[in-house]
Amino acid sequence: MAPALCANCKTERALIKRPKNHAKLCKGCFIKLFEDEVHHTITSSQLFYPGEKVAIGASGGKDSTVLASVLKTLNERHGYGLELVLLSIDEGIKGYRDDSLETVKRNAVQYGMPLKVVGYDELYGWTMDQVVEAIGKKGNCTYCGVFRRQALDRGAKMLGIKHVVTGHNADDVAETVLMNLLRGDLARLSRSTSIVTGDSRSEVKRSKPLKYAYEKEIVLYAHYKKLDYFSTECIYSPEAFRGSARGLVKQLERIRPTAILDIVRSGEDMARLVPGETSSSCACKGQTSAVMALAEDDIGGCGSQTGRARGDEMAAMDKQLRENEAHEGLEIDVAKAMAKNQKDGGQKHRELPLRSGDGPSKGFARQVLRNCKRCGYMSSQEICQACMLLEGLNKNRAQIQI
Amino acid sequence: MEAEPVVAGSLTRPCVKCHAQEATLDSRSQPVCRDCFTKFIATKCIKQIGILGKETRPPPSATGSGPAQGTRRYLLGLSLGVSSTVLLHLLNENVEFQLARGRNAPFDLVVVHIDHTQPTTTPTPPSTGPHQPNPTTTTPASRALDPYRRRYPRFTFHCIPPLPSHPYHPAAPHLDSLNSSSSSSSSSSSSSAAASAAASRTDIRRLLTRRALLAAARAHGCQALLLGHSTTALAELTLAEAAKGRGFALPWLVRDGPAGVAVGGSGGGSEESGRAEESGNEANEVPVLVYHPLRDALRKELVTYADLVGIADLVADRHPSHQGNGNRNGTANGTANGPAAVVSHRDLSIEDVMARYFADVEENYPSVVANVARTTGKLVRLEDAGGGRCGLCGLPLDEGGDERWRGELGLGAPARIGNGERESRLCYGCERSTAG
Ligand SMILES: [Zn+2]
Ligand SMILES: [Zn+2]
Ligand SMILES: [Zn+2]
Ligand SMILES: [Zn+2]
Repeated sequence: MAPALCANCKTERALIKRPKNHAKLCKGCFIKLFEDEVHHTITSSQLFYPGEKVAIGASGGKDSTVLASVLKTLNERHGYGLELVLLSIDEGIKGYRDDSLETVKRNAVQYGMPLKVVGYDELYGWTMDQVVEAIGKKGNCTYCGVFRRQALDRGAKMLGIKHVVTGHNADDVAETVLMNLLRGDLARLSRSTSIVTGDSRSEVKRSKPLKYAYEKEIVLYAHYKKLDYFSTECIYSPEAFRGSARGLVKQLERIRPTAILDIVRSGEDMARLVPGETSSSCACKGQTSAVMALAEDDIGGCGSQTGRARGDEMAAMDKQLRENEAHEGLEIDVAKAMAKNQKDGGQKHRELPLRSGDGPSKGFARQVLRNCKRCGYMSSQEICQACMLLEGLNKNRAQIQI
Repeated sequence: MEAEPVVAGSLTRPCVKCHAQEATLDSRSQPVCRDCFTKFIATKCIKQIGILGKETRPPPSATGSGPAQGTRRYLLGLSLGVSSTVLLHLLNENVEFQLARGRNAPFDLVVVHIDHTQPTTTPTPPSTGPHQPNPTTTTPASRALDPYRRRYPRFTFHCIPPLPSHPYHPAAPHLDSLNSSSSSSSSSSSSSAAASAAASRTDIRRLLTRRALLAAARAHGCQALLLGHSTTALAELTLAEAAKGRGFALPWLVRDGPAGVAVGGSGGGSEESGRAEESGNEANEVPVLVYHPLRDALRKELVTYADLVGIADLVADRHPSHQGNGNRNGTANGTANGPAAVVSHRDLSIEDVMARYFADVEENYPSVVANVARTTGKLVRLEDAGGGRCGLCGLPLDEGGDERWRGELGLGAPARIGNGERESRLCYGCERSTAG
């Protein structure tokens, strides 16, 4: 049986079946195509400008390691003129970061990039170990998640850097789309697919250059480039519905490999169909930033957890929804409004009843973006979540000291 | 159940609604009696039928073969599954209720089952209008309709093959294999290719079922197509369509309202005629509405209902032996059966994955399921996306979205089907399902 030849160069032996489209490639072509595609993403979205200082959110995991490696390669190959810095967050969980931080330190040497490690204690005055000590094991996931979301931005700000890139891949984005559909959260759905988060008012811009890269290809790339990375499981990270959505994405990918990108596409399209987003959504013209997103809503980052907390969160939401239904007779309102809506040719979507209160799905009321009064971080509330949590923690600490 | 009213105090577990009967069921975590439960389901259906009634003004009189003056005329897509069977039963009850009060029947109902085991007919000249079922063919599906006919003699039943596909359609090869049972695909060499093919077959069959039902509705002079989707089915549909890259089409598929599909018999393809919405003869024809009267009931509730009112035996799809036998056309035809217990992974469709997933969620977190369907219902239909209609599914094309996507991924020109005057484009989702 003659070995199949690479579908791209047609000279080398094909060694790799691309997870994304099952194309049979040789090692060299796979690496080249993977890099070319990231380059295309970067240029078509105009992610960077020459001379820009960019922090790579580095966890030592495969995604951020591949991101650092690819960015270094592309920066040199295409002359982006970027000043790349590795930025790592130390949550302050004893033992947990030791190995991954060692990995990042080696990466810094391997890629010749400066590394800055910022601790939760520097950023918030609390390490995660101290948080756990103060509030117990239960509920600290919330703290870790909220702190984590802001940590990179705060760290970048400390370094005077205005752009953070993260290793979020296509699987992560697909997962977020399904998760927000499951949660019925159109506002987040409409933001979850955008490659850039943060708007002109936020001090730090965030982007995900690997948005269209399959997780499996990232693993392959790391393998064939012999990258030095650390596989870690985050111990504090369950996010609502994410594990459940992740399981679905994996199953769908098995049935149809393109499903991951198909979900991303659906998410981008649905973002334009969210009431309130439609006016600005003839996105064909506004090339660069189809939908800007609140960095606050961005993907939490680390999780390799598989639905550990799914039950709890679904149960909580189920209960909340039931209470809402009991209170508001929502179904009837929606039905009426929809009938009315159709009569008017479907144009009057703004008149649909908006759910008020803090239910898990706040409908699609356009959130007013503002800056946290305390820390300046972009938030939908006057005081951002992190500052709220810190307030509670600090109050607690004061009491203990008394 | 109890013939004489009983004082609530003497019941061990009184129904929370009537307080007069023993609760024998749990409905949305409340104990209810049989009568209150069936009333609860009926009310949810009738409410939607009422909304539809206001939307469908009675048709103008004397349009030849049209329905009698003043009567609404609906077409029910019967998949032979639980949900559409329950819907049929409830509609029949509604008519009987009105007649018993000396009123006119609120609507005429035509019941149509799209039978994928029948050979797709060769394209008929457009002038012949509705394609007729071949009276000589009897298939398992057409025989399965007999008990329905006996049980609901008031309505007319049709068992028809799916529409002949577009003459130049690249999906045509897929169609041939639609009828083959899943086991026959085992000759396929690559298991992942087989899995992909199964998913694509299911998707295309579902689309063609929908188009065939809409064409039948048009042909029978019906103002609305009624589908049996439960809340659960709509939630499944939402995630399945999103997974297939059809996010843009979701508002047309999940919300009630004008079909949005070019109904024309053989593809409705060309971009010019697509804009005229339907078969083209009368450009100002009112579009067929699509309604989901059971959108507020969970699937498990419909299963319970079917048992309570004694129609479960009608439901062919409840028997696993019918799986993969032409009735796996999923939610588009209103199938309500849960997924079969054991299906090899390669034969799973995306719809199957979602059905399994939501069967689980529905059991434990029913409000989460309802919320998915309700939220998706809020998505806006972009009427003027600038691209005519898809040559396969008939839904509006998303010119802007396609262009942006190609730019983002650095892809070439979009797929087109047919040639010359009949040429038309495919939407993203149909492109995926016809990719092979
Ligand atoms: Zn090659
Ligand atoms: Zn703050
Ligand atoms: Zn009762
Ligand atoms: Zn299509």
